[in-house]
Amino acid sequence: MATTETQILDDVISSRRKLIMMLGGTALAGALLADSPKADAAALTDTDILNFALNLEYLEAQYYTLADSGSTIDTLGIGTGAGTSASGGGTVTTKPGGPAACKVPFVTPSFASYAQEIATEERKHVAFLRSALGSSAVAQPNIDLYNSFNAAAAAAGIGPSFDPFANEVNFLLGSYIFEDVGVTAYHGAAGLISDKSILGAGVGIHAVEAYHAGLIRTTLWSLDQANTSLGIAATATKISTLRSTLDGTGNDDIGLTTTMDNLNGTSGSYQASTIVDADLTNSQGFSRTAAQVLAIVYANPAGTPGGFFPNGLNGNIK
Amino acid sequence: MLKAKEMLSSAVTRRNFLVGAGSAAALTAVGCGSSSKGTLPTTPPTTPDITDTDILNFALNLEYLEASYYLYAATGSGLSASDMGSNAGTVTGGAQVPFASKIQQEYAYEIAQDELNHVRFLRSALGNTAVSMPDIDLKNSFNAAASAAGIGASFNPFASYETFLLGAFVFEDVGVTAYTGAAPLLKDKNFLNAAAGIQAVEAYHAGEIRTLVVAAGQTYVDLANKISALRAKLGGGNETTLTGTSIVASDPTNAIAYSRTTDQVLQIVYGMVGGNVASGLFFPNGLNGTIKSTAA
Repeated sequence: MATTETQILDDVISSRRKLIMMLGGTALAGALLADSPKADAAALTDTDILNFALNLEYLEAQYYTLADSGSTIDTLGIGTGAGTSASGGGTVTTKPGGPAACKVPFVTPSFASYAQEIATEERKHVAFLRSALGSSAVAQPNIDLYNSFNAAAAAAGIGPSFDPFANEVNFLLGSYIFEDVGVTAYHGAAGLISDKSILGAGVGIHAVEAYHAGLIRTTLWSLDQANTSLGIAATATKISTLRSTLDGTGNDDIGLTTTMDNLNGTSGSYQASTIVDADLTNSQGFSRTAAQVLAIVYANPAGTPGGFFPNGLNGNIK
Repeated sequence: MLKAKEMLSSAVTRRNFLVGAGSAAALTAVGCGSSSKGTLPTTPPTTPDITDTDILNFALNLEYLEASYYLYAATGSGLSASDMGSNAGTVTGGAQVPFASKIQQEYAYEIAQDELNHVRFLRSALGNTAVSMPDIDLKNSFNAAASAAGIGASFNPFASYETFLLGAFVFEDVGVTAYTGAAPLLKDKNFLNAAAGIQAVEAYHAGEIRTLVVAAGQTYVDLANKISALRAKLGGGNETTLTGTSIVASDPTNAIAYSRTTDQVLQIVYGMVGGNVASGLFFPNGLNGTIKSTAA
């Protein structure tokens, strides 16, 4: 495993755009621009961005499809190979017992319906992006849905292990991990897309991820308020804190809690929920750079592969 | 990419509208551009641009409506004078909802604050080009919509938590489609970023409201779907029937959120399909700004 420094050096040699994505900051990008006029974040192609999104959709589709049906997406007719190849994608590491053991034992019918709906929609996103990318589509990278959750739980202070497939509440918390990240990733990508029609599709998927996030967060908050002794909202908030810690900002993620709002008055006398994950001043969804998204899905502030993608993403942004 | 191409076509249609049907201001601008500067290329511009200011002001009108609805529901009064602009319109109707529990209030308070923040953000971003709040109707509008949707002769969204959810349902999915349609039209990357951020929040709200309507029971789901059918009739389709397995409103093939043109959004908030529709329903005297009338 390369150190961060040597990896950055490699990137300078191989791909300036990757360096910009990894290091993110405007100042650094500016320094690079001064060094070489040709180095520009605009060097990222729409294909690069769509493939970045495709990696994230593979992850979400596998998670929800396993939870809903105990199957991986390739067994449901979704291609995972490079280009138009149906097969040849990376592996999916699951809990002991394999995919079948991941089917969540739902007891609340509406929660089972949520899983089914989101699984279907995330598979459609995979299929849409693969279709849009055609021969340029990257294969599914290796995905870890077992060690990743255990490590994340430990890092978030939730406990030594976490099985999102064990029961329906855990499933909702596992979903919580992904959806808000998807929203911020598409938000950050929108400004980088050159083609207006691709931008239209990108913001459309962005909205669907936010619908999902609204659904998941509403459900978790209502469960928490019905029985606060379960600590459901507190666990979700720990996940939010972990995400904002990993991406280096410390302040771009709102957990499930309450705020005292002014509304049209002058004092904070209205106790409001925080279903929406957005900045509290302007009520705009947060935006993350690719580097920040990688830090979260790799579970590593340095952005080196790990977490949900033990061998990294496929494509130019990784 | 078919869907994406359709979205692009929609945007182009909107531009054609401005050329063909006549925003007078836009046409005047073109005239000035081609006649007062003889050194310009002889081919006059044929597609006058909708400016970012036009689009943000269009959005601001919708945010005035949403903020007024939620603030009345939450507090019994609307926007403060300082958030409306000069010579602002008035709001007809609106009342505090008798919420039955703390969590119901929390939902309403949160969305009210979000929509108020959107009004303030857009007014700040637009500066002295921000339009003032137009006249807004939160009473006759809902009655007329209920009648058109086949719900009944009248509908008071402020009567209970459940009716409040249905009133919210009227707005949120429309907000998502409006921002999804508008975002790609914005030229300034900062505005695009802000619009995408607001779009996400509207979609969070929509996901929340649709989840809560389903939780409220089949009676309310059925009513919501009558509203959805009315919106489809007014707004060019672009609706997903609400069920326990279709919380998200998105196209069934690709699961991409629908996009509406400004004309389609105007037809919904004015409650009328057709050309040159310039007022009605929620905006009895029309929107303020450049984008306020459907194509001829």
